[in-house]
Amino acid sequence: MNPNLYEAQSTLSHGASMLISNYVFPNDLHVHWSMMIVLYPYITGLVDGAFIIAALYYLFDVKSLKPVARFSLLFAFAFLCCATLPLLLHLGRPERNFNMLLTPSPSSAMAGFGYIYAISMGVLSFIVLFVYRPDLVERGKKSKGVMKLIYRALTFDSDDLSKKALELDTKIIRFLVGLGIPVAAVLHGYVGFIFGGVKANPTWSTPLMPVIFLFSACVSGISAIVLAYIVIRKLGSLSIDAACIKTCIKTLTGFFILAFSFEMLEVFSHSYLKTGYHHMVEGLLNGPLASSFWLWQVKICSVIPLILLGFMAFVKMRDSIYLPISTIVSAILLLQVFIMRWNVVIGGQLMSKSARGYTVFHPEWFDKEGILAVIIIMTIPFIILYVLGKIFPFWGDAIKGSISSKPVRKTGGN
Amino acid sequence: MKIEDFSFDMDRREFVKKVLNGAIAGSLILVFPMDTVGVDSQMGISQSDLNLRLPEEIPGIKNNQYDIHRQKFAFVVDITRCIGCGSCCVADKREYNVPDGNYRTWVERYVKDFDDQIYVDCPNGGLDGYQKPRDDIQTGVRDTFFVPKLCNMCKEPPCVQVCPVGATFMTPDGFVLMDSQRCVGCAYCIQACPYSVRFLSPVTKTAEKCTWCYHRVRKGLLPACVEVCPTGARKFGSLNDENSEVYKILKGPGVLTVLKQSMGTLPALYYIGQRLEVV
Amino acid sequence: MLSKHAMRIILVVISVVAVSGVGLLVKAQLIPKSFGLYGAYRADAIDEEAQRVVRHGTNASCFGCHPYEAKTHLKGDHKTISCEFCHGTYSDHVKSGKKIADLPVKKGAEITTLCLRCHNTEIKARSTIVIKTVAMPDHLEQQKVKLTHNCNQCHNVHAPLKYINEAKKITGLMEEH
Repeated sequence: MNPNLYEAQSTLSHGASMLISNYVFPNDLHVHWSMMIVLYPYITGLVDGAFIIAALYYLFDVKSLKPVARFSLLFAFAFLCCATLPLLLHLGRPERNFNMLLTPSPSSAMAGFGYIYAISMGVLSFIVLFVYRPDLVERGKKSKGVMKLIYRALTFDSDDLSKKALELDTKIIRFLVGLGIPVAAVLHGYVGFIFGGVKANPTWSTPLMPVIFLFSACVSGISAIVLAYIVIRKLGSLSIDAACIKTCIKTLTGFFILAFSFEMLEVFSHSYLKTGYHHMVEGLLNGPLASSFWLWQVKICSVIPLILLGFMAFVKMRDSIYLPISTIVSAILLLQVFIMRWNVVIGGQLMSKSARGYTVFHPEWFDKEGILAVIIIMTIPFIILYVLGKIFPFWGDAIKGSISSKPVRKTGGN
Repeated sequence: MKIEDFSFDMDRREFVKKVLNGAIAGSLILVFPMDTVGVDSQMGISQSDLNLRLPEEIPGIKNNQYDIHRQKFAFVVDITRCIGCGSCCVADKREYNVPDGNYRTWVERYVKDFDDQIYVDCPNGGLDGYQKPRDDIQTGVRDTFFVPKLCNMCKEPPCVQVCPVGATFMTPDGFVLMDSQRCVGCAYCIQACPYSVRFLSPVTKTAEKCTWCYHRVRKGLLPACVEVCPTGARKFGSLNDENSEVYKILKGPGVLTVLKQSMGTLPALYYIGQRLEVV
Repeated sequence: MLSKHAMRIILVVISVVAVSGVGLLVKAQLIPKSFGLYGAYRADAIDEEAQRVVRHGTNASCFGCHPYEAKTHLKGDHKTISCEFCHGTYSDHVKSGKKIADLPVKKGAEITTLCLRCHNTEIKARSTIVIKTVAMPDHLEQQKVKLTHNCNQCHNVHAPLKYINEAKKITGLMEEH
């Protein structure tokens, strides 16, 4: 046992009569769900949030989001491709992952994963293909050999770009996006429920958990789109559509207020209800999580963005000021959601089920679930995105008017 | 201080470690389930010895057809009789070759001082016993008692509920067991168990847990921990046998409690003399 | 009349349904046979667990070949102590009725450590109401023996009061005379 545990304990004044010995059950010393399980809801959250942006444009006709609509679809797709990687790295027996599909237990919240994931992947892939069909048809015409075949397959072997055909496509896209919203909500809400459904862990078992996860997912996804849009356009010396960013930021503000309110509601409920495990949750937030929760998640990464977002909402400012602040806010909120996932997943496990003590978590660098693996997994979606960008142009607008060395592409609108 | 001679276990652990470290074998475990590597099979009691040399401890099982739908068992732990010797922990580790640092069963020490503060500890899961008093209690010790922990064999097991692949399950005779050939090692059951009796084996990379020695029970033998308990603090028996001690305790007027009743798990592990401080 | 485009899309839908159907068929083939017999699990796993090797025997199984120790052990206050706790498991010692290896016998200081696992007053536990406990080295001083003595120099480990009672008998007789 770690002698530091006793030292860590002495700093806790609250509930000391129960906690004095810092007793951790022998099997609780090890944190079983580590960084990969932090990463997994983070990635599905990014997918969800990006998909919300696309849905707002394709289903709810928020026209100002047009510049990022296609990019957010690709972004969601690239991250969805990697959503299973952290899970596979986490599993003790990854080669048996198909058992999840073969014999899903009807009573388990986790068992649905394989099917929910497969459906979301299918829906999202088809949305991307239908949205990009006009582009792909054009490109197919210009290409030869294998590439021509690939384009034929990607366009369902239909080069019909007549008005009637495109109208049908639009209907299908609307249907698929409409289907995609509940699928995305289930994909991520269920991740929240995986935690919310563990009655043995008092910090997890709250019906608020899926809600918190959903809203924070939207926050992270929209932030990621804003940040990626601004950064990629800047790097390519392309114009930035301020109206689009403003719509994104407004949506982001709404979701973040909801997410943060629910996060705080959970903590408030714990401290007001003072249930049997209250002393443990309080001790956790004020002890091992004091800096990662109160300082980082709440003060730095929530209160500061809230102030900035309020400033952006109520004070008129020039685009040249608005855009840099949007970038900063998005970056902070991306971090906020990551820290929140960390505090829920790893923080929740620091508390022993003995209700008498806390264990410690030391992230490793080169472990299968270590920091290096996290970095690699988070890099892969960007590589996928880069490759996808070769076939599926990110931006719906023609690139006229911007100073670009890239060849002007002919793209089809929607 | 290490009292027990674990030489046999050590050899085996070393062997398994070597196997796992080998590059070829390391890749083979992805193909072949580790549990079929015959580490245990050579070391068990032979069938002839089981038949001839081992007595029947649970009546009506040995040499009878085992009707899985009729059998019912209970486990009772009498805290007032536990002396914290750790025999049960040692026996358990030997019976299953439990990897170091993981515990199917363990014995906790509760110390109450004159300020009514509770100090709990469980160094090495109680494997080495409790040889020394705690030295961090200033106001003097009012009471010390030991609490053996093991699988609660819940009738509403949260671990079974959450397992995504049906790798842990409740048998018709009421045991919560593991199917190590189906387990994917997601550790969800470990999160779900309110008693923390599960662990992910570093050898098989699958979840493992106390089974109340199902393999022994099916042969009419008592669980290993009950077998070695010198004071009768651990009691196990059939509820179909009206002469068994557990039957008499469960049907008798004495006070019985379970752990974390509020979890709604309905344990089949009962405690006698359980104190409020115990979780 | 449907356009070529619409036909293509219907084809896509049909292939998605077909692929899912094939997937479900393959799934049905790959589910283990005994899965679902008693519930959402592999019923064969019960028997596999029941077949797990037994490593601990019982005291009775040891006494079969060790009648001398059995006689002492069963008469003494240590009759409830498992042979295998101190000596190791049956399966490491006997195979099909034949000895395959020696089991360790505790010696010297090891024995004292082993005794104090249970008989230690110092830990101030309730074990005192179940068994007799002593404080070390007070006990040695009270009994006026060397502090280097191990427990087994006065106590037979299998029947701890055997020598003590025998000695009392002798001294008692002497006192009567």
